[in-house]
Amino acid sequence: MDFALLHDAFWGLTFDGIALGAIYALISLGYTLVYGVLRLINFAHSEVFMIGTFAALVAASGIMGVKVEDDPRTGGSMILTLVVCLVVAMLASAITAVLVEIVAYRRLRQRGATKLATLISAIGVSISLVELFRIITDSLPREFPRIMEKTFLFSYAGADIRNDKVIVIIAAGLMMFALERFITKTRLGKGIRAVSMDENTSTLMGVNINRVITVTFFAGGLMAGAAAFFYILVYENTSFKVGFFLGISAFTAAVLGGIGNLKGALFGGFALGLMETWTSAVFGTAWKAVISFIILVLVLLIKPTGLFGESIQQARV
Amino acid sequence: MKKNRVLAVVAAVAIATTSFVAFAPSASAACSSKLKIAYQGPLTGPEAALGINELNGVKFALKRFLAANKSANVDPVVYEVDDQGDPAVAGPIAPKVAAEECVVALVGPAYSGASKVSLPVYLSAGLPIITPSATNPTLPSFGKSIFHRAVLTDDYQGPALARLVTQNVKNAKVFLVNDASDYAVGLQKTVDITLAGRVVGKDVTPTGTTDFTATIAKIKKSKATAVIYSGYFSQAAVFVKQLRDSGSKIVFASGDGTLDNQFIKLARKAAEGVLLSAPAIPMETASPKLAAEMVKAGWTPGVYTTESFDAANFFLEAIKAGNTDRASINKYVSTQSSKGLSKVLKFDADGEVSGADVNGFVIKNGKIVLLGAIKA
Repeated sequence: MDFALLHDAFWGLTFDGIALGAIYALISLGYTLVYGVLRLINFAHSEVFMIGTFAALVAASGIMGVKVEDDPRTGGSMILTLVVCLVVAMLASAITAVLVEIVAYRRLRQRGATKLATLISAIGVSISLVELFRIITDSLPREFPRIMEKTFLFSYAGADIRNDKVIVIIAAGLMMFALERFITKTRLGKGIRAVSMDENTSTLMGVNINRVITVTFFAGGLMAGAAAFFYILVYENTSFKVGFFLGISAFTAAVLGGIGNLKGALFGGFALGLMETWTSAVFGTAWKAVISFIILVLVLLIKPTGLFGESIQQARV
Repeated sequence: MKKNRVLAVVAAVAIATTSFVAFAPSASAACSSKLKIAYQGPLTGPEAALGINELNGVKFALKRFLAANKSANVDPVVYEVDDQGDPAVAGPIAPKVAAEECVVALVGPAYSGASKVSLPVYLSAGLPIITPSATNPTLPSFGKSIFHRAVLTDDYQGPALARLVTQNVKNAKVFLVNDASDYAVGLQKTVDITLAGRVVGKDVTPTGTTDFTATIAKIKKSKATAVIYSGYFSQAAVFVKQLRDSGSKIVFASGDGTLDNQFIKLARKAAEGVLLSAPAIPMETASPKLAAEMVKAGWTPGVYTTESFDAANFFLEAIKAGNTDRASINKYVSTQSSKGLSKVLKFDADGEVSGADVNGFVIKNGKIVLLGAIKA
């Protein structure tokens, strides 16, 4: 155990933990939104994220013409490239999420299939997408070109604050704020909350269930796509299996905060990012999953519905 | 009714079993059509990249052989055995491969775990194998007379990797990181023993780790002058990039799992100056001409492609010399030698290759440059 390292490098580890947590939080919003509305764990969500990373890659090289060997871009060209990659990743993930809902869940739902059948369908879609991308990519990881030069903006208490991570934290915060506004303030958002409270009553009140579910998957996909772009911006590579580990972490974050609860997903994401980084420093990286999951179990033992409870309507701030 | 069904199933299983036993070929069964060269390794799943590298080497060797020997009685298609690098998958597959009477030689298995369960089956079927990459030192005891290995074992690579670092870094203080795989843990163990007092810290970053923040903080705190990473290229690339992006300029070294052009592609500038050791040699280094020819044919060479190419060529030479069954091909590769791209293949009584070296490499201007054999 190395508590001295945590003490010495606390602010650096914390800053990096928040950046990682922001990515977890964005992915976990998708799990939580779908669960809130359908009471279904969308296991294909990790692949919605994976497709977002590949879409960002295609946008950078195909649309913006960035080559791997190029020097990082600067000024307006850099901002335009970043924005295009972000938007393409978000749209690709959102469209994938909606298609997954239509292909794998809608018919089962309409025919009154059991939750178990839907769960197996979700796992089936997840495995199919992973294997599809494994075949397309020949099992090899893919590199993302460096769009912006990674520089240290400033140093605070021994922590070197790097520009790409600052962008991730700020942009992720804005995304989360926009989603929260959408859920609480718009007509469609109110529909999502109404369905999550009581599907039958919402239908009687004139809420179009199919439309609400499509919007839910779309919104979750948008967030996963944003997470995918931020991930690939920081780590600069992806592979067919990228969604697996991040998906499990994000799902854990959603459960930790209280699955079905937006505020819980956000809190869970940041908490898990920080916990993983801190415990890696103290106990060694190999121990991060052990310690993080022990904490998760302890939290659930004390509060089985997660820290914030299980419901979207509780997301009001 | 139920009882009848059970009886029917039992009868079917019994018939299937007896027919399998009755028709399973013995070691001397003759092949009535074209002879087949098999390759065994991970062709699907997360480890597939390495298996595909090796399969490509075998395909390329076969293509060249048939182009030069048009009348050869050899099937132009490699008999592919996908064990996913997993002993649990390899176990049930090996008897099926052994029962294919026209499969007269096998390049592989790629992984040590899968080798341990497959080799006893191939031994009883007399099927000769040359593994291009399974480096566990205990394998000869599983395969005995049919076992041959085209590379040196882990007992040689770890110490060589340690020496590569100490020879290139003055008063090296080394931080060790591994990815928790069997391969990486075994390799790091021998590196650790060789470095003895020079190790200033260790961390384990299990396969799938994407964020190395804490490990890098530990490395910086340890004041290490070199880091040796045991693991595979995809994660090594992520790690070295994050290390360089953190401002660290210490020497980064790794073993054969990282010796792949994909590592350079993924790590780009961060790969510059990285030291690598391997009992293998990249096709591009061993023969740029053949590497280019291979790319033109549609196959990308990677780590262990050269060794697989050599192993397949040795079997094909045996066939060309008039050997058409498993026993005679086994005798040929056990007693003769073959001038391969990576080395001269000449096996000792245990099937181990003699006179081979562990090579040192450095990445320079985006290319893997051979430094030469790592001397003691």
